[in-house]
Amino acid sequence: MTGAANLRIEMPWLLRNNAGLAGVLVLIALVCLVGAAASDRFLSFNNFLNVFEQTTDLALVSIGQTLTILAGGIDLSVGSLISLTSCLTSGLINNNPDRVVVVVIAVLVLGTAVGCVNASLVVALRVHPLIVTLGMGAVLQGVTLLYALGPVGRVPRGFNFLAYGRVYGLPLGATLAVLLCILIALLLRYLPLGRQVYALGDDANSARLVGLRRTRILMLVYGTSGFCCAATGLYLAARFGVGQPYTGVNYTLASITPVVLGGTLLSGGKGGVVGTLFGAFLIALLNNLLNFMDVSKHYQLVAQAVIIILAVSVYVERRRTM
Amino acid sequence: MLKLAGISKSFPGVRALNGVHLHVQPGEIHGLLGENGAGKSTLIKIIAGADAPDEGEMDFADAPVQWSSPREAKQHGIHVVYQEFALFPQRSVAENIFIGHERRNRFGLLDHARTRREATQLLQRLGVSLNVNAAVSSLSVADQQMVEIARAMVHNVKLLVLDEPTAVIAGREVAVLFELLRRLRETGVSVLFISHRLDEVFAICDRVTVLKDGRLVGTHDIRDVTRQRLISMMVGRDLGDLFPPRTMTARSSETILRTEGVTVGERVRDVSIELRRGEIAALAGMVGAGRSELALGLFGAMPLRSGVIHLAGQRITSMTPARAIGLGMGLVTEDRKSQGLAMLLDIAANISGPALSEVAKHGLIDRRLESEVAAREIERYRIACRGPGTKVATMSGGNQQKVIVARWARICRSVLILDEPTRGIDVGAKAEIYRIMRELARSGVAILMISSELTEVIGMADRIIVMREGRVTGELPGGAATEEDIMHLATSENAA
Amino acid sequence: MSDRLTTPAELDQPIAPAWSTRALLDRFGMLLILPLLLAAGGIVSPAFISADNLSNLLLQFAPLAIVAMGQALVMIVRGLDLSVASMMATAAVIATGFSGSDRDVATIFAVALAVAVMIGLLNGFLVTKRQVSPFLATLATMILLQGFRFAYTQGAPSGNVPPLLRVFGAGKFHGIPYNVLVLVALAIILAIVLHRSTFGRRIFIVGGNPVTGRLFGIQSDLIIIACYLISACLAAVGGLILSGYVGLVDNWVGQGYELDSIVACVVGQVSLQGGRGSILGALTGAAIIVIIANEVLLLGVPIQVQLIIKGAVIVIAAALYARKDN
Repeated sequence: MTGAANLRIEMPWLLRNNAGLAGVLVLIALVCLVGAAASDRFLSFNNFLNVFEQTTDLALVSIGQTLTILAGGIDLSVGSLISLTSCLTSGLINNNPDRVVVVVIAVLVLGTAVGCVNASLVVALRVHPLIVTLGMGAVLQGVTLLYALGPVGRVPRGFNFLAYGRVYGLPLGATLAVLLCILIALLLRYLPLGRQVYALGDDANSARLVGLRRTRILMLVYGTSGFCCAATGLYLAARFGVGQPYTGVNYTLASITPVVLGGTLLSGGKGGVVGTLFGAFLIALLNNLLNFMDVSKHYQLVAQAVIIILAVSVYVERRRTM
Repeated sequence: MLKLAGISKSFPGVRALNGVHLHVQPGEIHGLLGENGAGKSTLIKIIAGADAPDEGEMDFADAPVQWSSPREAKQHGIHVVYQEFALFPQRSVAENIFIGHERRNRFGLLDHARTRREATQLLQRLGVSLNVNAAVSSLSVADQQMVEIARAMVHNVKLLVLDEPTAVIAGREVAVLFELLRRLRETGVSVLFISHRLDEVFAICDRVTVLKDGRLVGTHDIRDVTRQRLISMMVGRDLGDLFPPRTMTARSSETILRTEGVTVGERVRDVSIELRRGEIAALAGMVGAGRSELALGLFGAMPLRSGVIHLAGQRITSMTPARAIGLGMGLVTEDRKSQGLAMLLDIAANISGPALSEVAKHGLIDRRLESEVAAREIERYRIACRGPGTKVATMSGGNQQKVIVARWARICRSVLILDEPTRGIDVGAKAEIYRIMRELARSGVAILMISSELTEVIGMADRIIVMREGRVTGELPGGAATEEDIMHLATSENAA
Repeated sequence: MSDRLTTPAELDQPIAPAWSTRALLDRFGMLLILPLLLAAGGIVSPAFISADNLSNLLLQFAPLAIVAMGQALVMIVRGLDLSVASMMATAAVIATGFSGSDRDVATIFAVALAVAVMIGLLNGFLVTKRQVSPFLATLATMILLQGFRFAYTQGAPSGNVPPLLRVFGAGKFHGIPYNVLVLVALAIILAIVLHRSTFGRRIFIVGGNPVTGRLFGIQSDLIIIACYLISACLAAVGGLILSGYVGLVDNWVGQGYELDSIVACVVGQVSLQGGRGSILGALTGAAIIVIIANEVLLLGVPIQVQLIIKGAVIVIAAALYARKDN
């Protein structure tokens, strides 16, 4: 019996614990098929690099969001935090190359710290994360506007390498996002605390009875989410050359879509960041395809909504039959 | 091993524990008995470090202790298996066993191979073989319990506290558990065993402590007490016979419900049974035999995959709860908290629930009428509460069950199905429920009682229907059947 | 919890009548915060309690309150409706989609409500029949509506709001805004439906526990769908009124109302876990939000600080109720 269990052919762990990943890959394949039919340039390597590059910002935020959702929570402060960090980046650097390193580090630390404050508030006030992070989002937006009512500062010319640069032909920002994703996936799998993220999301009451340290777990997930927001803020500042106080506003809800497309349960406890990465890629790919097909920007939103509805409905079906 | 002296604990409005002493010796199985609300749960929480006592001292392993968290208690070797389990359903068996105490390699990272290996070894030591990669949600309840106990082994447990472990398992699974507990006892582990079932207490415990109303009634060697004595210690009076006398002459009465080849869900196959007015029929069998699914199917809460139900002269192939209620049927489900009660609402709403139109005019509820209806039921069934406006969430398990039974008894005209009606409630409330069932039967309702407690089946049923693996394997007359007869039909021939 | 003993002492406690001080306080206690807030506002800036300002306050209060009542129903059945703001904007776009004369008001209402019915049904269908989480389902319909709206207006809405609608949105009758009259009528109907009718009782039963609902013979799915339907319709009405208030239309009328309405409910003690809440609570919550925003504005505090205060209020209010529940 136990021998048989050990002899069982092990699927790669990325796939094994992630039934949703298969779903998102199928969807990507579908979009590719339609794309190939629509235009012969769609399936080109260059186009894929483009799409990959366009995935960066959404991928970065959603990776952090995945963690909070895995732990049974949610982070609705991401949009404001992205706005704040992008404003601070360009405002503080203010076209002075000497400040780049210090400011980048400071911004990443700040983002992480805001995430940790979110976690502490959730623990200390015993309030649902939805509400805490919603409140935090409003506060951060206010702070951002106090700092800048319009576009603020500038980043030095070299800084936009983060957004447009290519290393060995690969877009730098997107590659960093992938590396971050892999790192977090490994941490989730090989750190005890990472496993406990799943446990907490699976059953919070059991986690309490077993004596898991909820505060630590929440610090990890909200801290990471804050870090990811700061990274997104940096990236957007690099891309636009300037920080804008409303630049992150749409990411709050948009960051949830890739997570769900990637097969992470919104109720927590199941899923992973790799799926999210592909989820973000799927959305960029879809927008790209619709561009190829000359579909108006407005209908792209409709298409996205339909994809979400279809995807979540299909996942539900699978869960039921199991 | 564990010594509690003068433990007291109060909650707003309730004195849960009052100067309780408890002394668990090394390597003994110690029973903790008491009606619901006697203070057992509070006592467990204090032992586990989930609650702090207001007064009193606690010694563990010959040293005075004061837990600041469940974690600390666990580190000292106290492990509690709660009734509702503390498992993570989507995670694997191995992960569940080592959660919070993950197996690492020398770099401090998780060692998944070692986790699986040690989990397998641990389970083998307990004498169970499970696929350690399987998600816990895919296991049977009994196996889930084993995972919980295996988890205790990880911590080098010295005192294992089991809160009503047999409430969720039956028959052979209980035997397996007891065998395991005896083996643990030999290795010097102490077990604190909480149960409602006296048979089991006599079967497994060395000593037994009885609580009542938050006070210690006494601790005795199990050989020094009788069943009657324990009951009167728990209840505070002699109960007489638990089961009211049979009055039924079923042969003459009409058939009210008949099924033909009913198949429900994955478990229930091709079941054909009959129920007659005025009888109490018991549905016996092991947990997992499909009894609850059959009940849900008859009531329309699970779809019929095939088969026909004849109820009150109607031929029905697709049942819904609304239709079942309309035809005078009722269902008391197994799980009160998650199914039977609208926990956030008051008694009145819980009693009027399935028959709202009775207390409403033009779609608007007549609160006064609803309240009067509830007040009548409260009086009839002696439900302990402050009035129809009492929230059911604040009531004891026994009284909650009475609310559910009262709800259906009031509107039931044809068939009332009760799924484990006395599970987890105290002896006093039990007797009350039995009395209500008899009364209902006498009024002409057919009662189908699902029960895993054989004494109850034998004591109450006029007729016993036995199921095994989703099929009816036989029928026995009530009164004359023995536990062996039932078990023979309930378990597969080669195993029996 | 359920294991607690019902002691004889407990039985001896007097039966609490529905109208006892404690019960009243439980039910209406949160209303007490309103005069306090108003008084505080008056002390800080006298202009606050001028009749003019108060009547303007009511004007701003009505649209949010209307949407919050729908949100409350959805939250009681364990849901969440993120599509309300998008629905409001869509209704506003519909309001300007016709000739702009009063003849079309009836048509506007009919079209807006028809769209709302479809969206409400879609939300309800996804949540019940497809078991999609409410957050996602309504997020998707929010984007869906937004897409259709953008496609319809080509990004730049134009056209006029009919004068009659402007009266409904911004007009006053002896200082009392017409939109408040609409709100009061809707609130009374909804309060009766939720707290007195069998349908309302079923909402609470299903919201407290869908399984129990089913065993009570209630068609839980229908109840839940009905709640989403009502929420979408109220959002449409709120959107029309708001478009009348704003006067001109862009694609973002009502932006922020999805979160504001949720906040209003949370502040008004509608439980995010379902099964608990009231129309009065939703109204109180909406009032608190509008009053605070207005006071902050009058104080001449920069608009940015408003956001900070709003955020803090949300969290603090929720924290206070969490304490109370525990």
